[in-house]
Amino acid sequence: MLRFVRDNGLSLAFGAVFLATLVGQAISGADTFNHAQALHNGDPISFGHYVTSALFWADVMENWQSEYLQFTLYIFATIWLIQKGSNESKKPGRAGRESAEQQLLGEHASPDSPRWAGVGGWRTALYSNSLLMVMGAIWIASWLAQSLAGRIVYNADQLDHQAPTVSWPTYVTTSDFWNRTLQNWQSEFLAVGSMVILSVYLRQRGSPESKPVGAPHSETASSG
Amino acid sequence: MRSVRLMFAIYLVLIVAGLAYAIALGILEH
Repeated sequence: MLRFVRDNGLSLAFGAVFLATLVGQAISGADTFNHAQALHNGDPISFGHYVTSALFWADVMENWQSEYLQFTLYIFATIWLIQKGSNESKKPGRAGRESAEQQLLGEHASPDSPRWAGVGGWRTALYSNSLLMVMGAIWIASWLAQSLAGRIVYNADQLDHQAPTVSWPTYVTTSDFWNRTLQNWQSEFLAVGSMVILSVYLRQRGSPESKPVGAPHSETASSG
Repeated sequence: MRSVRLMFAIYLVLIVAGLAYAIALGILEH
């Protein structure tokens, strides 16, 4: 048990914080909704109803999609783009998908490489892009979920105000959908860009997200 | 590595379950 915790400290800690903050979001979200209901002389809804409703899930998916887009785009961009001096970049000169030798593919695979790295053909091609594909699929699925749940929330609001409801294809062209989407994207891109450039000159001793404290500013990709 | 594989599976199941629920909710709740 202790070994399990030690071996999985990062994923356990973030998983726990994720669940705690999700519960916090649910409690505060339900309270915010019921406060608005009270202001408009509407009926309050139960906590159980709120956490199973599109109101809650549209908000959850809206944030999920932007996080997964951020990582998907970052995984993709860092194949091709370099930031000199950044720990978040590859070394200059290694831009691109790199050789089979550098990536330990086919005959260059070692005995303990994942099997699909060595077998060649479609399995190696698929496995070579599996992280980007899975992160990208989660992004697309959560963005779709945001649009589907967001439309229900939008239509409920429209009905409350005796306004016409909209179809899904119409909803994805509304400013409501794009405002929910872009307000999340902009912050993700700023944070990623900051991480890329701040790690050139700033350090955190002991973190692999930083270069070693004594590493020169000009050194690119040297995890501490 | 067995415990790491378990964490990997837990994360994937959690994510897929959340996505599946939200998509189903979005399609079914009109």
